[in-house]
Amino acid sequence: MTRSPDRDDIPPGTLEVLILKTLTRHDRLHGFEIAESIQARSDDVLTVEEGSLYPALQRLLGKGWISDTWGRTPENRRARYYRVTAAGRRQLDRELERYHRVARAIARVLLPA
Amino acid sequence: MTLRGLWHRLRSTIRLGRFDDDLADEMQLHVELRAEKLRREGLSPDEAARVAQRQFGRRLAVREHSRDAGTFVWLDALRQDIRYALRTLRRSPGFTAAAVVTLALGIGANTTMFSVMNATVLQRPPYPDPERLATLWRIQTKDPENINIVSWPNFHDWRERSRTFASLAILDSAGRGYNLTGASEPEQVPGVRVTASFFTVLGVAPMLGRTFTVDEEQPGADRVVVLSYGLWKRRYGADPTIVGRTIPIDSRPHVVVGVMPESFRFRLGSERELWVPAGWTKGDQDRTANSFVAIGRLRSDAALAQAQSELDTIGRALADEYPVENGGTSVRVVPLVDVGTARLRSTLLLMLGIVGFVLLIACANVANLLLARAASRARELGIRSALGAGRGRIVRQLLTESVVLACAGGATGLLLAYSGTRALLPLLPANLRNVPFRTVDRIPIDGGVLAFTSAVALGCGLLFGLAPALASFRSSAPRLQEGGRGFTGDSKGRLRYTLVASEIALTLVVLAGAAVMVVSVARLLRVDPGLDPHNVLVLEMSAPQEDLYNGPPGNPRLCQGLREQVGSVPGVVAVSAIAHLPLSGAGAGRGVTIENQPDPGPRNQPGAGYTVACPDLLKTLGITLAAGREFTVRDTVDAPGVVLVNETFARRHWPTQEAVGKRFKIGRYDRDAPWLTIVGVFKDIRHNGLDTAPVPSFIRPYPQAGWPFISIVVKTSSAPETFIAPVKRALTVIESERPVSAVRTMEDVVGRSVSSRRFPMLLLSGFAVLALVLAAVGIAGVVGYSVVQRTPEIGVRIALGAQRRDVLRLILGHSLAWTLGGIAVGVGGAIGLLRLLGSLLYDVKAGDPFVLGAVSAILVGVALAASYVPARRAMRVDAVTALRQS
Repeated sequence: MTRSPDRDDIPPGTLEVLILKTLTRHDRLHGFEIAESIQARSDDVLTVEEGSLYPALQRLLGKGWISDTWGRTPENRRARYYRVTAAGRRQLDRELERYHRVARAIARVLLPA
Repeated sequence: MTLRGLWHRLRSTIRLGRFDDDLADEMQLHVELRAEKLRREGLSPDEAARVAQRQFGRRLAVREHSRDAGTFVWLDALRQDIRYALRTLRRSPGFTAAAVVTLALGIGANTTMFSVMNATVLQRPPYPDPERLATLWRIQTKDPENINIVSWPNFHDWRERSRTFASLAILDSAGRGYNLTGASEPEQVPGVRVTASFFTVLGVAPMLGRTFTVDEEQPGADRVVVLSYGLWKRRYGADPTIVGRTIPIDSRPHVVVGVMPESFRFRLGSERELWVPAGWTKGDQDRTANSFVAIGRLRSDAALAQAQSELDTIGRALADEYPVENGGTSVRVVPLVDVGTARLRSTLLLMLGIVGFVLLIACANVANLLLARAASRARELGIRSALGAGRGRIVRQLLTESVVLACAGGATGLLLAYSGTRALLPLLPANLRNVPFRTVDRIPIDGGVLAFTSAVALGCGLLFGLAPALASFRSSAPRLQEGGRGFTGDSKGRLRYTLVASEIALTLVVLAGAAVMVVSVARLLRVDPGLDPHNVLVLEMSAPQEDLYNGPPGNPRLCQGLREQVGSVPGVVAVSAIAHLPLSGAGAGRGVTIENQPDPGPRNQPGAGYTVACPDLLKTLGITLAAGREFTVRDTVDAPGVVLVNETFARRHWPTQEAVGKRFKIGRYDRDAPWLTIVGVFKDIRHNGLDTAPVPSFIRPYPQAGWPFISIVVKTSSAPETFIAPVKRALTVIESERPVSAVRTMEDVVGRSVSSRRFPMLLLSGFAVLALVLAAVGIAGVVGYSVVQRTPEIGVRIALGAQRRDVLRLILGHSLAWTLGGIAVGVGGAIGLLRLLGSLLYDVKAGDPFVLGAVSAILVGVALAASYVPARRAMRVDAVTALRQS
């Protein structure tokens, strides 16, 4: 693996939220763009394992939180594009709220007073 | 999961190949794009491709995980199982056909039975919110189960005082035929008089025009009519301008004010085709003139229990206010959907239970087939198990096979039920055709039936599949090691013979059920009805009169006309007419007061069956005159009031004296009614049914009393059917505007009076034949299989000197032992279960020893015959071949 020591795996369960958030920033993205976007946004701290990305996308499709269409990349290659659905946006809001609540609580415990 | 997600997973599962291809495509794109990126970062093309590829990890694992997330894996597995099951079943067509046919017979019989139930007692009445509809009845507080029709004054008070009903209505309980004349052929059409609120209660608006107003309930204003869709279409050619037109009904002009929609059917006694306003008569004002059915629609915020408690209060108040008329009575509220269905429902449920036994027999047969097959498939299953198929996987595969079989059986059974229901429809007895408020003119295979059949098929598949599936799993591993077959283990087929014994037990119950019904009907038909139905023609006529149920008749010369016109038809021996034909289900009653006896008080008022008839009734119907004379033409409206009474009536009131010459009057002690003189006593007839003991009853002469409908009876010298045309011609001379309807023979009437028993008898007999055939096939199959299994053992026995006779005895003895075991259990079950036939039985007990003995003997005979065929094969076993085979 070409993993540098300063890169981290994504904690389990978080990947779906990251995908949803990433998709809200764009009209539509294909799998590689999603992985690149997460990695870039996290300043290369988070790497998206392709082995987890595609099952995660299927999970989101199966929940109805994202939709897929086949299209062409600017280089005219066939690609499956993903979009976030209204149900997906609602789910993201719920997840973010939960995340902030938990993060604040953890911070209160860990950080020196 | 959202609908979109569900759809994604379903679509992906169904097109799994496409799903995999798409996934592979996008992973390929990913690898290529990553390789390009790595090249841009300075790696050599080869190196970049290698790294990009490696980074993707195991593609197979990605595919599996994606499938888990994006498809229904279980659904795909199920599809594979089904495909595998179909392939396996196709490989053994003989087995598959036998199993499917067996199941189809069982499921078909059950579906047919359920369809009958679904079309009759389970049918929803065709009105909006039928659950909110209720009927109201008068009851004696000491006998609340016995519900009675009501009088208009009492109903009027209920309606005034009740708050739980949004609307209440009454309709004439009898209804009658209305004679339509005019342009086309005169026709008698069943109709009924109703209050204006009748249509409001049922919640159906007319398709054309309007329904009645309250003003039209008054006599004089009541010459209006609402037609049913069917009548409007049939008789008036669906004329859209019919509203406002005047049509003659019973020779009086009536204005058509409305036509009901096609969906509106109203059946109580018979299907009503027209409605007229109540048109209150003088007789209706009498608080004791109970001749109406009350219906009501509950307020949306009122429960049935509330309505009942409210009417309890009202009923008590009315009993206090009118002690003479209402003493000891109260009101009972019954949901409309439950009226007249309770007993039918329990009878049909019992039939459904018994036909369920037939299905269990079919399942036992299929289970036996599967067991035999599982033994021969032990190697295959052993191999699959050794190759790593889990226990659950194999059981699931075997269960899938059973369910697939059951579904095929269910589908075929549905076809059988389709023809079965069509065959049964004309056989439906009157009590099933006349379920109140429902129209049973077909037995549909609808959603409810499909759901029932699916559930039954699925249940069967699991039932007969589970035992063999588990049994074969248990035995699969050792079988593989063993390789050959010895005669250890279950070689005597304990499980299989247990199934056979169960089949015998179940068959015995079905057979005994059919037998007691056959005995009941046979004994019932041997009951002397007290009349001679041979060569008697019956024709119904509607003869309305001013005061509906209390004479004088509309045509005082009817009886005389019958004698002159019909009596002169060559071959006619005698002619008469009677308002309530014996054994037809028709009946009326009156309270009576005997002359020279103290006032018994309102609660002990003696009552009696009541009807009116023309002269020569006894002669025409072959009823024996015990004393006195029949009515004659001299018993006219101006002559002194006379009556005929039956022997029970005479014995009840004059146990030691001659009844002829005694007098009584209709109604209470203080009622001012004319005294009626008994002129004759006739021997009891079974008026209310062959199974019903005679009650006191009396007959008044039609010219003195009248009745709005009457059955004309004609005794003929030869086959009565040949007299229909001449008798009808003769009748048009007397009553040109009153056509006759429902022409029958008296023998039909007697036969139909037992139809409520004959139908279950026919069904049970059919089930019994089916059960017997299935059981015989099952026994033959199991004995045959065990002969094959025991061939080596038999070979040894023969080698050791056993005679063929001994072999035969061995095989038959074994099968007989199990048969007797099954019979013992079955007899117990029959005694216990058939008691539920209850009132369907006549003069025979569920545990009748003669019946049980006979059916046991039949079963032993069938079991021995079924075992004999394979046993003969065992006799021919050649010792050398048999021993070599093992």
